Amino acid sequence: MLTQNATINLVELQQVPILKEGENLPGDFALWIFIFAEMLVFGVLFVAYAFTRANNVELFNASQLTLSRTSGAINTLVLITSSYFVVRGVAAIKLGLSKQCADWLMGAFLLGGVFISIKIVEFHAKFAADISMSTNAFYMFYLSLTFFHFMHVLMGMVILASIIVKARRGAYNAQHHTGVETGASFWHMVDFLWIILFPLIYIIR
Amino acid sequence: MKYKSQAVAKLYFIAAIGLFLGQILFGLIMGLQYVVGDFLFPAIPFNVARMVHTNLLIVWLLFGFMGASYFLIPEESETELFSPKLAIITFWVFLAAGAITVLGYLLVPYASLAKWTGNDLLNTMGREFLEQPLPTKVGIVLVALSWLFNITMTMLKGRKTAISLVLTLGMLGLAVFFLFSFYNPVNLVKDKFYWWWVVHLWVEGVWELILGAMLAFVLIKVTGVDREVVEKWLYVIITMTLVTGIIGTGHHYYWIGTPVYWQWWGSVFSALEPIPFFMMTVFAFNMVNKRRREHPNKAAVLWALGTSVMAFLGAGVWGFLHTLAPVNYYAHGTQLTAAHGHLAFYGAYALVVLTMISYAMPIIRGRAANPERAQIMEMWSFWLMTVSIFFITLFLTGAGIVQIWLQRISTTPMSFMAVQDQISIFYWAREAAGVVFLIGLLLYITSFFVKGESKAFE
Amino acid sequence: MSATFTKSMARNVFYGGGVFFFLLFLALTFDTMKVLPTRDNSQNITPAVAHGKKLWETNNCIGCHTLLGEGAYFAPELGNVYVRRGPDFIKAWIKGQPTGVPGRRQMPQFNLSDADIDDVVAFLKYASEINTNKWPPNIEG
Repeated sequence: MLTQNATINLVELQQVPILKEGENLPGDFALWIFIFAEMLVFGVLFVAYAFTRANNVELFNASQLTLSRTSGAINTLVLITSSYFVVRGVAAIKLGLSKQCADWLMGAFLLGGVFISIKIVEFHAKFAADISMSTNAFYMFYLSLTFFHFMHVLMGMVILASIIVKARRGAYNAQHHTGVETGASFWHMVDFLWIILFPLIYIIR
Repeated sequence: MKYKSQAVAKLYFIAAIGLFLGQILFGLIMGLQYVVGDFLFPAIPFNVARMVHTNLLIVWLLFGFMGASYFLIPEESETELFSPKLAIITFWVFLAAGAITVLGYLLVPYASLAKWTGNDLLNTMGREFLEQPLPTKVGIVLVALSWLFNITMTMLKGRKTAISLVLTLGMLGLAVFFLFSFYNPVNLVKDKFYWWWVVHLWVEGVWELILGAMLAFVLIKVTGVDREVVEKWLYVIITMTLVTGIIGTGHHYYWIGTPVYWQWWGSVFSALEPIPFFMMTVFAFNMVNKRRREHPNKAAVLWALGTSVMAFLGAGVWGFLHTLAPVNYYAHGTQLTAAHGHLAFYGAYALVVLTMISYAMPIIRGRAANPERAQIMEMWSFWLMTVSIFFITLFLTGAGIVQIWLQRISTTPMSFMAVQDQISIFYWAREAAGVVFLIGLLLYITSFFVKGESKAFE
Repeated sequence: MSATFTKSMARNVFYGGGVFFFLLFLALTFDTMKVLPTRDNSQNITPAVAHGKKLWETNNCIGCHTLLGEGAYFAPELGNVYVRRGPDFIKAWIKGQPTGVPGRRQMPQFNLSDADIDDVVAFLKYASEINTNKWPPNIEG
């Protein structure tokens, strides 16, 4: 249920201020090629997870209990909030408010940092317990998927940071802000993937 | 020709074609040895013929890449080559090193060659495609550095376009990843792991940057389509190449002692490797359809379109056929791999070099395009070579599928050699297709000597 | 492609994507190197194995055979030949080449000493004990 609600929220959030007339996708088409490619990779991995789990239900259930649901849930809230900040940032630049845009994105950036920190603590706990991708099939998927996603968050933060710097310099305005929308699309994708990842790996039994 | 120094490319192209011919002749010898096992034994054992066949391939492609960049970079940078003299010296050094190495393979037992060339100092020889003696390997590094230096200096003093940037980046990657050929640990798993950093990261990584840049250059020239459009496509395509290809290396890490998770990482990412090739096909046809002029060099357009299609088929489709771990479990190390190797190398790399030669050679020889008759002959050679390599691929695929069945799936598996006897019909057919390929190549070479009225520059 | 997508953005995506996936590849490589000792049979690498590997390389065995599925496809897989044929057969085979049977594929005579052949066998034994995720599918390779 959480997945569904969150997805709907995300869609609603995206739709409110972003769509201009005659434009279907915010940001740029080429970036959407990459976003679709990324979704495809994650999609395949999610399906692979589901099939492998179906064959090893007990192992997966037992291993799943060792994950910290609390930190996963906190991270979900953190990312959803950050996505909201990004939406506000885009809305701000559409009104030509560079400063506000940069501030909202800064908020999202900092929340990205919170996500990363919590995730590092989680990874550290697993590595300290001598758990690796070679431990069993569940941890293989858990570590692969979350680490791959983790790197996407880092990437998203790099993108946000460069947009913040440019926004502060006044490089965007109400008419020209494709860069902001493109970065925002990437960040929403990262958020969206986590919203699927979290219940899939941490919760569903 | 806009810049005098572009003419050095001619030397490189001639050498490339000559070595290509050598490669094909040795390919035919090997093809015959597949069915007449003692052919030319012990004068040229199979392993020696194979070494010559694959090493000549690599060397002629490198000659092609270098020649192409000496032609392309001055034109893109709008300035003369930094040092034509260095390019000529590098050419002769590389040609001499290549010739001596091949003669060494043919005339000296490999073990003696290894002993005499300092393999005891640093073991690097005797690994597939990296059989070159230590001095040759060092030579390759020096040649690559000289090439890189010359090109970079040219670019720095002139215009910096995306095409020349991508080409240079590809060459830099080529030089850097080749350094892993000097790392050969006793631990077989590590040896194989880093061996792929040369082989895979070359052909499914940085070489594709070179390929993309060369194709983009020719397409701009023959179609007159806006540079901005072409270069954007180029970036998008090579992004997908690196996104899929780097982790795609994992499809070589299924069965060589590396962890199980590579089966997932490798399968997922390498399954996406056809995407950039597909985009390249769409891109090439799109550009030609939107052309703003009719370039008199029809042959070059054919080679360029051929590259995009055959690269997609060979690298994309045939690669995908056996890239998923559960399939590769049965297909690994069979004739199916050989089938993929042949079509991919021809479609992606041989063809892109021939595309560049087809576009550049007439210009170097002082005309916009070759005489009509020469072009027709050149196009015939394209079809002969392309169709015959496609049949070689089909026959090897057939051989591979039967081999997999008899040797690995059947409940009463047959031994390797027993299976080879069963599939000899495929090998005979492959050899016949190989002969047609040779005819196509000879026709190609002949086309350079056809005289007639040629189109002057507009 | 839409006009708002500038070339410089395409370039940034290229550099970003390239660096991203190379870093990911390095991370996976790092993990692989950590896990390898449990799988690669390196505890059994003796001077004989090392010398055997060198002989394997300097006689260009990979020019005809495959080893763990990689190499030429002209002659049998040798990653599991130690299990398939056993040491004595391998030694006798290497010594007995070439067979000289007309029309059959020929393996050269490499003039190795008995000690050398022992080392080649030691190398093949080591190779056969690497954890290859159950490849090849059966003993025939």
